[in-house]
Amino acid sequence: MTVDNSSPRQRILNLFAGKKTDRVPCFSGMGNVTTEGLKKFGYKFAELHSNAKMLADAAASTYKLFGFECGIVPFDLCVEAEALGCEINVYAHSDDILYPTIKKKLITNEEEMDIRIPSDVSNRGRMPLMKDAIRHLKSDIGDNAVIGSYVLGPFTLAGQIMELNDLLKLSFKKPDKVGKLLDNLSDVIISVAKEYESAGVDFITVREMGATSDVLSPRVFKSLILPYLKKVFSELKSANVLHICGKTNDIAVFMLESGAKAISVDQKNDVAETRKKIGSNALLFGNYDPYNVLVSGTPELVHETIKKCIDSGVSAVWPGCDIWPTVPPDNFKAMMDTVQQYRR
Amino acid sequence: MTGEDRKQEILEALKNAVVQYDEDAAKEAAQKALDLDINVNDAIFNGLVSGMEEVGRLFEAQEYFVPELLMCADALYAGLDLLKPHAETMDLGVKGSVVIGTVEGDVHDIGKNIVKMMFDVAGFTVYDLGRDVPLDKFVEEQLRTDSDLVCLSAMMTTTMVGMQKVIDRLKEKNPDVKIMIGGAPVSKELADKWGADGYADDANNALKDAINMISSLKKMKEDAEAKKSS
Repeated sequence: MTVDNSSPRQRILNLFAGKKTDRVPCFSGMGNVTTEGLKKFGYKFAELHSNAKMLADAAASTYKLFGFECGIVPFDLCVEAEALGCEINVYAHSDDILYPTIKKKLITNEEEMDIRIPSDVSNRGRMPLMKDAIRHLKSDIGDNAVIGSYVLGPFTLAGQIMELNDLLKLSFKKPDKVGKLLDNLSDVIISVAKEYESAGVDFITVREMGATSDVLSPRVFKSLILPYLKKVFSELKSANVLHICGKTNDIAVFMLESGAKAISVDQKNDVAETRKKIGSNALLFGNYDPYNVLVSGTPELVHETIKKCIDSGVSAVWPGCDIWPTVPPDNFKAMMDTVQQYRR
Repeated sequence: MTGEDRKQEILEALKNAVVQYDEDAAKEAAQKALDLDINVNDAIFNGLVSGMEEVGRLFEAQEYFVPELLMCADALYAGLDLLKPHAETMDLGVKGSVVIGTVEGDVHDIGKNIVKMMFDVAGFTVYDLGRDVPLDKFVEEQLRTDSDLVCLSAMMTTTMVGMQKVIDRLKEKNPDVKIMIGGAPVSKELADKWGADGYADDANNALKDAINMISSLKKMKEDAEAKKSS
């Protein structure tokens, strides 16, 4: 039986469906805006976050300019926290690339952790705008490129709405209390993800970088983080990915246990070792360094790094974090060429 | 029990309180140290700080993670707050002042706070700008305080690149100032490329590096002055 790999999108959908593909795809489930794309439209990074059309244009430009096989919105990590009532800072004054951050936390002490989730949370803040952006993006490049969005994992979202310092200590001292918050936040994440699904995304990435083994022990990951990731993934209908950056070698197996269809790791993961642990069929995405390789490396370094990713056994060539916008076009081209030409 | 034995016992208690992140035990041991007139610098360095060194080892061995580290830091401060008012000028060979903060766009300050703690312990004057600090603020604060050292922290690749600008501007205004960058995405290569004098991916390294840098800075100044007067 021949498999239809006629478009990058079809190839990626085949990959998620467990079908054979002719080569590894090259895409991401995280931010993919580039300064080249912004230049093309004359957009300022800080303006994008509150305009659906601009978000979609910028996200689509990476496919149009470089053939990167996806279009992803949003570009920041504040959408869910904002829907929950946090105010954000988009750094409108700045001409630099500064990602929006949370200005004011929702929970300022332990007593406030028992939050009430607004019933219309998935329609608050910039949620309607994100759904619009997804629709624009879909009608623009959705036949050929895979369209995606991302949500935060429960623990990472908790770190957006309360002081990370407190959250981490309480994870140790009062895991039950933290667990209850994560359970509540899982519901928020599920309803946000469902809105993205109904707007037409092909896949959703859950970013739970707050629970990296640079911060939390694998033991705590298993007891406190994993149950709520399982809850989230059990509700997702679309293809999906769990992304965690930093040290992940000791939790890669748990990451798969979450029920995610694919796991995504960054350059700190020893992919060859992870591949051995999780077997040949599991989907493992990664793991080039988007800054030190793709932005500040040479095309030769990009070429060698992508070859190494493929040789180590990634199922898709995929960055360790958001594409850092100032990628030199030659480096982007070197990556796409390597993926087209190189076979393991 | 001799006085020396008792002293060792208290130093051990201070150390253990930090390692076992027990704030109450740290306060109790610090109070005992004061009651028994134990040299306060001894209590800080051979008690609290040697506890923190052990914590650093446990962290490296991946027995402790960030939550434990934060709780140990709380215990250290619980003891330090009692001891510090009684400390004489501490003798680390160098003293200095430092401007520290997390760069604009980055709201992560845990790493920065751990580094700050090490400077506090060492008796540095610390000008903490907090997190999400506009780049020019580092330059202004260094000029205002004439600090020997500026420490920039970033936890994310997305904000790390701002450091390069701060380094350029600081060196332009004051070529003698020492600059240290730190945070998870920072590497020796980047520190070299951007002209930072030191880099640290953890707090222990940050302190060691800082002391070395300030020593060399003081030496440079002394040499320059010796030249002038000769």
